[in-house]
Amino acid sequence: MAQINEQLIADVVRQVLKGVNGGTQPAAASGSGISAADYPLGMKRKDLLKSPRGIPFEELTLENIESGKVTFDDFRISPEVLKMQGEIATSAGRSQIALNLGRAGELTKVPDARILEIYNSLRPHRSTKDELLSIAEELEKKFGASVCANFVRESADVYQRRKLLKGDLPSAE
Amino acid sequence: MAVSKRSKRFEVLENRPVHKDGFIGEWIDVGLIAMGSPNDPKPSIRIEGDKVVEMDGRRREEFSMIEQFVADYAINVKNAPEAMAKSELEIARMLVDVNVPRGECIRVMTALTPAKIARVMDSLNIVEIMMAMQKMRCRQTPGNQCHITNVKDHPVLLAADAAEGALRGFIEMETTVGIVRYGAFNALALLVGGQTGRRGTLTQDALEEAFELEVGMRGLTSYAETVSVYGTESVFVDGDDTPWSKSFLASAYASRGLKMRFTSGTGSEVQMGAAEGKSMLYLEVLCIMVTKGAGVQGLQNGSISCIGVPGAVPSGLRAIACENLVTMCLDLEVASGNDQTFSHSDQRRTARTIPQLFPGTDLIFSGYAAEPNYDNMFAGSNWDIDDMDDFLSIQRDFKVDGGLRPVSEEDVIAIRNKAARALQAVFAELGFPPITDEEVELATYAHGTKDVGDRNIPEDLKATERLMKEGITGVDVAKALAKRGFRDIAESIILMMRQRVAGDYLQTSAWIDSDGAVYSAVNDPNTYAGPGTGYKMSDGRWNEIKSIPWAVRAEDV
Repeated sequence: MAQINEQLIADVVRQVLKGVNGGTQPAAASGSGISAADYPLGMKRKDLLKSPRGIPFEELTLENIESGKVTFDDFRISPEVLKMQGEIATSAGRSQIALNLGRAGELTKVPDARILEIYNSLRPHRSTKDELLSIAEELEKKFGASVCANFVRESADVYQRRKLLKGDLPSAE
Repeated sequence: MAVSKRSKRFEVLENRPVHKDGFIGEWIDVGLIAMGSPNDPKPSIRIEGDKVVEMDGRRREEFSMIEQFVADYAINVKNAPEAMAKSELEIARMLVDVNVPRGECIRVMTALTPAKIARVMDSLNIVEIMMAMQKMRCRQTPGNQCHITNVKDHPVLLAADAAEGALRGFIEMETTVGIVRYGAFNALALLVGGQTGRRGTLTQDALEEAFELEVGMRGLTSYAETVSVYGTESVFVDGDDTPWSKSFLASAYASRGLKMRFTSGTGSEVQMGAAEGKSMLYLEVLCIMVTKGAGVQGLQNGSISCIGVPGAVPSGLRAIACENLVTMCLDLEVASGNDQTFSHSDQRRTARTIPQLFPGTDLIFSGYAAEPNYDNMFAGSNWDIDDMDDFLSIQRDFKVDGGLRPVSEEDVIAIRNKAARALQAVFAELGFPPITDEEVELATYAHGTKDVGDRNIPEDLKATERLMKEGITGVDVAKALAKRGFRDIAESIILMMRQRVAGDYLQTSAWIDSDGAVYSAVNDPNTYAGPGTGYKMSDGRWNEIKSIPWAVRAEDV
């Protein structure tokens, strides 16, 4: 227990310093020490939550909307919080959710319209293998979304094997 | 064989409502078999390194896209050799045995192949399935979801119905439309009505995927559910998706801080004519495993819109209970069906709901019609608002928590009126076609659309277009409400918007309490381990369930 608390303190310090430095470095690859014990974050760890441009969770209020200090764009989840929720899921024994939230964290940087386009490209018989690979390249290079990129590359291989690429005839099976 | 002289008893029986239902014998070649088709694969697994190289008698090179996805993402390879070595009967007994903890069952069930899981289910009778559900559902406290729809897409009535539904205890509500272009107004009406009825109500708009995602991103809805997955490759492709496209969509929702679950159900593959002779349950297990592999927190299943198919074959309703149970056994939230008309018989309708209602599930109905059935745009639900007092009686008869509570006529009228006036204010503030005081009054006291007038549909549709084009968001709606004096509802909407910053409701089986606290399988895990453990109805809750207003009170006699 003592160890966890130390980790949490270290994490808080790290978050605070990050805010002070105005940095937007990605959360460390190793765990931030967040676990199911910190859940729900919105009740127990408000200190860790903020809008993408750094407005603290507690200040996301109706009054601040009315005064113009807070806008719709402040009500977006950050990759850091998705990562924490992924760690909570993992500590509760649900590793696949953590994988999904990891992909989601990467996608926070991809614009709404582009996300929908990529989704459509991943539908069956929509893309050639090269088109899928170039989406993977874009995700990786432009958005730093390497997990998503590999996921798309994997789909390209499966679609090729199962004849689900653009121009393939629907499988006879 | 025709009988020349008829038995009067048989004549009476033939005229009972149950005889209007469709029944059909098993027809294995087309997959008209609920469980245990001779064409279902035999369970097997072979692992090399950390890769599954053979599953259920098929080599990796021959895997369909679904099998590959399931093998790579949904099976715990480390535990698989041990779990697969157990007999089906041994695993089935673990599920029922109160002395085997839930966690141990999850460890085994998440390490099995689809064919093995299907066979474990076939080892359970319906009471054992219910016993297993009581232990295996993810969240300890059961809940309920309703449909809020009407044939006119009448926004004022939708808002009033949503408020009443939330007051009655539904923690989630789902709408869909008659006219597609009304979609944005439906979302808006549920947002305002749902938050009026109870702060924290989760709402969704079941429409085309891109639209659903967009209204979700805008904060007009808070979750999505109708993201379908299928059990055969050809049907999945017919549905214009793959496990990869659907997983990507799931991540897209989470990237915007939105809760979502997938949808599947027995019978969908038969209905689409491509069940490959496999049993409905085996194909459904594949769907559940795709959901697990995608890292989605939960699934709506229990045949859903295809219930006519399993509902017609032997052991079909048992198979439906099994789908729900498998979902729980893979540690997923389950919104357990009961949401589609399938029978003319009141006895069958009730019996169909017992396996979910008595043990309790995360969402016992994934759409109790909180309106009269003629207004239900999901083609009618198994229960509707006219059955409400029957439902409340059954909760009381069996001391079972179905998530709903008795309400007074006075409170319902008041909350409906408030929601209708709140929507009236939002429409006025945003410059949408006015809602008249008469419309507010009619919606307040209405039973359904037969009791409300007609809106000017072309004008409404112009406004919904504007709503979408101008990018109106939940924040705009809150501002409008606050400006017109509905500050409490505005605060509730902001509370919902804040959820997407915290992301707590992305966890398994999450719902939001009136104080904004999120309860899920993380902080309200199911601890059932036999009598005296698990979900215990509080005295307050029991008093609530007991207090149906129409019961004679001893002190009044």
